Amino acid sequence: MVGSSNITNPWPFLLPALMLSCLFFLLPTINMIFLSLTSESGIGFGNFRDFFATPHLTQALMRSLLVALFSTVIAGFVAWPLAYFIVFCVKEKWRPLFLLAILAPFWTSFTIRAFSWQLVLSDNGVIAWLIEQLTGLSIALGFLYTMKASVFGLALFGSMLCTFTLYGALVSIDKKVIEAASTLGAKPLQIFRDIILPLGLPGWLAGIVLSFIVCIGDYAVPTLLGGGLKPVLAQIMLSVLKGTYNLSQAATIATILATTVIICAAPLVLLRHIFRRSILA
Amino acid sequence: MNNLIVSKSMSVALTAFFCIALFVIYLPILVMIIFSFNSGKYQTLPFREPTFEWYVNLIADRSFIESFFTSIVMASLASLAATSLGFFAAYAFSKAKVPLHTLFLGLILCPLVIPIILIGIGIRLQVVSIGIQPALWLVLIGQTLYVLPLAVINLKNRIDKIPNSIEEAAISLGSSRFTSICLILVPICAPTIFATILLTFTFSFDEFVIAYFLTNFEITLPIRIWTSLVTGFEPKINAVGTAVFIFSLTLGLIAQFILLFKQTETQKN
Repeated sequence: MVGSSNITNPWPFLLPALMLSCLFFLLPTINMIFLSLTSESGIGFGNFRDFFATPHLTQALMRSLLVALFSTVIAGFVAWPLAYFIVFCVKEKWRPLFLLAILAPFWTSFTIRAFSWQLVLSDNGVIAWLIEQLTGLSIALGFLYTMKASVFGLALFGSMLCTFTLYGALVSIDKKVIEAASTLGAKPLQIFRDIILPLGLPGWLAGIVLSFIVCIGDYAVPTLLGGGLKPVLAQIMLSVLKGTYNLSQAATIATILATTVIICAAPLVLLRHIFRRSILA
Repeated sequence: MNNLIVSKSMSVALTAFFCIALFVIYLPILVMIIFSFNSGKYQTLPFREPTFEWYVNLIADRSFIESFFTSIVMASLASLAATSLGFFAAYAFSKAKVPLHTLFLGLILCPLVIPIILIGIGIRLQVVSIGIQPALWLVLIGQTLYVLPLAVINLKNRIDKIPNSIEEAAISLGSSRFTSICLILVPICAPTIFATILLTFTFSFDEFVIAYFLTNFEITLPIRIWTSLVTGFEPKINAVGTAVFIFSLTLGLIAQFILLFKQTETQKN
């Protein structure tokens, strides 16, 4: 920030937070990678070979990826109209209020919200009841405890996240640019394509990355909505850790999850970086 | 001005979409609140007699009340720790030349951009491999770590906007660094600090995964709720859900309100 002459020695201020991060985040991460590389046969990639040779583990990894992918894509699509509405259809004064209306449940328990969907989606839940009242037919929805339900729950959460970051990008677009474009004869669609879309993309991509990360690592929604029959990686990890106490295996799964996140998120982060630079240029 | 961007029919469509989104977001919560007043052991429609039975049951259930107080204590400690550590770190990042600035800031903010489950599993593997049993104090550390990035981001945004000249003036007039922080910086940032405490409190109060990984026997409220959800249905869970939802929502909304409105007000003055 402006003039850094203010304090000369940042360490007394920085050290406590840094210590916490080093001791309980950096060190455990290194330890986790180390554990994943050690097996009974010594140091090596044995644990990883075992992981990829076990069908139910690789299936869980694929499930985690698919669930996260689908819910993030849905979230990404939903975020545009929502953010667009709040930024361009609502008076400036009321924008934060509308944003809060979308985000409010975000600040409350994830578990509770996942559970509340059970009440709506289950075979004797509200939707099934409504269908029965309206049509007289009693049908089993068969929606709860499927991967679709997991995707639904996570997409909803991701939408809030994406809307939030996209809102930030859209709201900071200089209105003069849009006015100028319009004066020069640009139609709404052109304004969207040439101004709003490129300026909104960095914020949108940030939301996409964050929601992918949340979705791939979540445990509560896949358990409460997706059920236990087709577990995702997070569920496997927990059962390994709480059930068998096989530390190396748990560490291996965690390392694979972390690697997957990095591999999937890195191109998006890079893309976002390129977009931002091209905007600034 | 807005009609330059959104045509009339588009605006109607967007409004409709927004309303549908609100409906989808709030429908299950409404259902839960309604069910929490519904008598009858099975949570199915139609609605029977209204009752406060589940709330009375809830207050009488010691395991819920105890875990609630555990959660309150944990969340208070975690939010105070994260906000104070975060304040000083934000101050350093904002007002000093920190070597390897990006690296250190990145390290502190990192827990925000990794799956939360990895924080829990990392600490658990670490302590178990050196022979420490999972316990409540580890939950406290894990949750502080988890909410620290939020605190740093909020407070850094605020401190960045305070001109250095204010503090420089105080110091050139003979105030010590410590006094200038306590008497100038903290009061200026007071709304943001308060909002940050509330926000980090809410997040750690509702946090489930880290707590689930890092404790064996002492439980927090989210763990108690979780146990009830996966082991079999208790009708009073709707009442718990409603209570927790309203509690967190109130705190979270106050915090957001301060961050979105109050902060901009003080900046204008």
